[in-house]
Amino acid sequence: MYGGGGGGGGFNAPSTASGRRRNQEDEEEEEEEAGEGRVLEAWERAYADDRSWEALQEDDSGLLRPIDTKTLVHAQYRRRLLLRSAATAAARIQKGLIRYLYIVIDLSRAASEMDYRPSRMAVVAKHAEAFIREFFDQNPLSHVGIVTIKDGICHRLTEIGGSPESQIKALMGKLECSGDSSLQNALELVHGYLDQVPSYGHKEILILYSALNTCDPGDIMETIEKCKKSKIRCSIIGLAAEIFICKHICEETGGSYTIALDESHFKELLLEHAPPSPAIAEYAAANLIKMGFPQRGAEDLISICSCHKKIKSGAEGYICPRCKVNVCELPTECRTCGLTLVSSPHLARSYHHLFPVQPFDEVSSIYPNKLGQKGGQKCYGCQQSFINPDSQSSLHVRCPKCNQHFCLDCDIYIHESLHNCPGCESQRSSSS
Amino acid sequence: MPISWSTATSTCSTPRWPASCPGRCRRSVSSCSTRHTTSITSALRLSVSASASRRWKALNETCGASRKRLIGRFKATDANRLRAEYNRLVDGLAQRGNLPISDAWLANPALPDDILKEAVPGNIRRAEHFLAVLRRLVRFLDGRLETETVENEMPVSFVASIHSQAGIDQKMLRFCYDRLHSLMLTLEITDTDEFMHIQTICDFATLIGTYTRGFSIITEPYDERMPDIRDPVIQLSCHDASLAIQPVFDRFQTVVITSGTLSPIDLYPRLLNFNPVISRSFTMSLTRDCICPMVLTRGSDQLPVSTKFDMRSDPGVVRNYGRLLLEMSSAVPDGIVCFFVSYSYMDGIVNSWNEMGILQDIMQHKLVFIETPDVVETTLALDNYRKACDCGRGAIFFSVARGKVAEGIDFDRHYGRLVIMFGVPFQYTLSRILLARLEYLRETFQIKEGDFLTFDALRQAAQCVGRVIRSKADYGMMIFADKRYSRHDKRSKLPGWILSHLHDAHLNLSTDMALHIAREFLRRMAQPYDKMGSGGNKTLLTEEDLQNMAQDAMEM
Repeated sequence: MYGGGGGGGGFNAPSTASGRRRNQEDEEEEEEEAGEGRVLEAWERAYADDRSWEALQEDDSGLLRPIDTKTLVHAQYRRRLLLRSAATAAARIQKGLIRYLYIVIDLSRAASEMDYRPSRMAVVAKHAEAFIREFFDQNPLSHVGIVTIKDGICHRLTEIGGSPESQIKALMGKLECSGDSSLQNALELVHGYLDQVPSYGHKEILILYSALNTCDPGDIMETIEKCKKSKIRCSIIGLAAEIFICKHICEETGGSYTIALDESHFKELLLEHAPPSPAIAEYAAANLIKMGFPQRGAEDLISICSCHKKIKSGAEGYICPRCKVNVCELPTECRTCGLTLVSSPHLARSYHHLFPVQPFDEVSSIYPNKLGQKGGQKCYGCQQSFINPDSQSSLHVRCPKCNQHFCLDCDIYIHESLHNCPGCESQRSSSS
Repeated sequence: MPISWSTATSTCSTPRWPASCPGRCRRSVSSCSTRHTTSITSALRLSVSASASRRWKALNETCGASRKRLIGRFKATDANRLRAEYNRLVDGLAQRGNLPISDAWLANPALPDDILKEAVPGNIRRAEHFLAVLRRLVRFLDGRLETETVENEMPVSFVASIHSQAGIDQKMLRFCYDRLHSLMLTLEITDTDEFMHIQTICDFATLIGTYTRGFSIITEPYDERMPDIRDPVIQLSCHDASLAIQPVFDRFQTVVITSGTLSPIDLYPRLLNFNPVISRSFTMSLTRDCICPMVLTRGSDQLPVSTKFDMRSDPGVVRNYGRLLLEMSSAVPDGIVCFFVSYSYMDGIVNSWNEMGILQDIMQHKLVFIETPDVVETTLALDNYRKACDCGRGAIFFSVARGKVAEGIDFDRHYGRLVIMFGVPFQYTLSRILLARLEYLRETFQIKEGDFLTFDALRQAAQCVGRVIRSKADYGMMIFADKRYSRHDKRSKLPGWILSHLHDAHLNLSTDMALHIAREFLRRMAQPYDKMGSGGNKTLLTEEDLQNMAQDAMEM
């Protein structure tokens, strides 16, 4: 989403506020031009979705402030980053990397309410899709299943599995809502499924709850107690208002309970569940897990894959190292011998959660470092100069370990996508 | 030694007794003098209206007879004990060993000191004589109940007629309560339930014997709701709240009265008859805007809503109120509390909602519980209401302003996220008691009827809506659903802590606007916040902060 370091162009060029705005508009238009091949006039654009007027701000005298989205976005991002790093401040927190997550989607009557556009249900589905992709991106070793609540009854939409595509397809095909919703039924059902999960897996439920009540067949407190005993962590994202029983569930099982203000806030809250949460110490006994690293089959090998029962050539699948059966996708569990099959990049991609890049310090000195430290004038990542044309230094950040300076775009890129600090990495290679 | 005598510590609390006005006077007296005025009015009304007067009489006679037997028995076995009691009564009530003088005000705040020091008059010292006096009194009251017209008497004339017809003078009346109490103690009677009625009579006698002003005795042969059925009631009604608080002022040097519903504050000194040294109205210090009062004047069809007499039975208004509740029940989680102006209005509107099918729609979202005049039933309903809120089903409680629930039950946290006040809870203005009280207030304190009625209604409304918020960490919405609330003369009588959160934009809302505001508010309140408050709006003080503040004050 933030390509390379090259995005700094619109950032240090303009001198005045109006100039900056014009520049941004230009950028937007360029983007649209790229997308649709022609420039849309202002009246032709669809404003209904992005609600740009809500971003307008007034200053003390009632004048409109120029929208400075870039610093706004960055400030927001910094806050999140610091929050996250504060949570993991204790240096070595164990994190649950192998997660078994059931997403429970409430499709009761309340999901058809129109306070989110076009409806709560559509918004939930849209962002659930994004979440599932993001989730697998961040937790390649984890598994997801989807459960829906409708007419007071719960259905398992998809079995717990490791591939995002099948989950998303199943979700999109089943979008209609009616009846009451029942938290107890949902918890009971998911509890039944998660009970079979191996002990090293972290059992989680994420409930996207539109309704404001729950019609239960029995005593929900007993069900909560059961979940607590099975070490299932329940988190709930509400779409309307705080409900006592939801808060109670989350407090009891150690999950988080948040309420979305609007669509973008909902997305933010949902994505907060993508990175693995710290494991609760007593739950996570350190134990060894058997894993297989299957090889891609040979070109000329023809076999029947165990997942789709279809004839495939070896190059399309992987061979389980223990029982030599063909599987199509990784990560998965071998159908025959039950061995967990992963590939080494998956493990590597989970690694950064354990050793995150430290948040960078903000540097806003008007006078750049007089010692002439290398990179003091330029971003170490993209080599852009920090000096504006009117010779004012703009806001940038510095890595506390290697003291290299970075521009804001590179800051985001390093923490969100790269997960390595280029400064520290190059130091290490030069010293060794 | 200054003793601060405060009913509650926080500014948003309600008075328990002294800080009250005639609307609560009966209650307040009852809470300080155990069974006095309230028992008179309510118990008498209960026992008489539940059963015909003849049965009531029979009941009292059996009571008397059984005690007579008792006395006979005790006399045979334990003449000494009665003798000892006689001596005690000669010495005066205050010398009784089990009632130290220092605590006397607590037991008997409504009785003046001289009654405690005086000796019991000779003609009721002996148990038989006292019983005979009581029988005569009961017969007299029975005769009064035979009347066909509504009578309103002052205690003086009532006592005079007792004296002439039953031969009981004021002094004997005055000692009835204590004499009976002493007799019961002497005879070591444990099943006090059986003697409840005769106790009521004695309380009544003592009060009319003690006070010559501030009370009136109203005899009504028929219930106003059912004018065909004979149902006589004698009521003793207290008009003057200052009587109840007078012992507190006499006893303590420093008295602090705090309450969340003392508004307008200048009316209270007049009602309680004292000169305040300091009177101050504080706003609430909150970490965030956790209360959201709204005035709803129009329904979803933009027509005005009100419980004014000429509008309350209009089906349009009833439907608008129903729609309001339905919309709110779909947008507000957990508990909702609704207050209506009276039981009869609540019965009517719930019936209409049922016929219109609105009630069924509401029940899809939440369970509905209703307060009834029956205490046991109401307690059960409240219990189940709480359960429904706890387990996430959601519930609505229908209640009546001035009822038991409005006075004493808290709907904090999820038990009450929204309270809707349907209408302005004016008192029933045709009630004899109210008319007598208004007349008394006008003559004694120069308070206009209209002023008092509005003040009383708004105080009740504030009392009702204040049920939902009991702490800073809590949050709740309040809807005043009546177009009359938007008028300045009504609104300005609400307490400051409500007014300070009542934005101008929330003064004239219709149902859909209120719904939108409610949704926004609930979302905002559900966000995590800094409980301690940071920087300027620190609202939870530690001991350290207090010491710093004290130091600052010293330096200044």
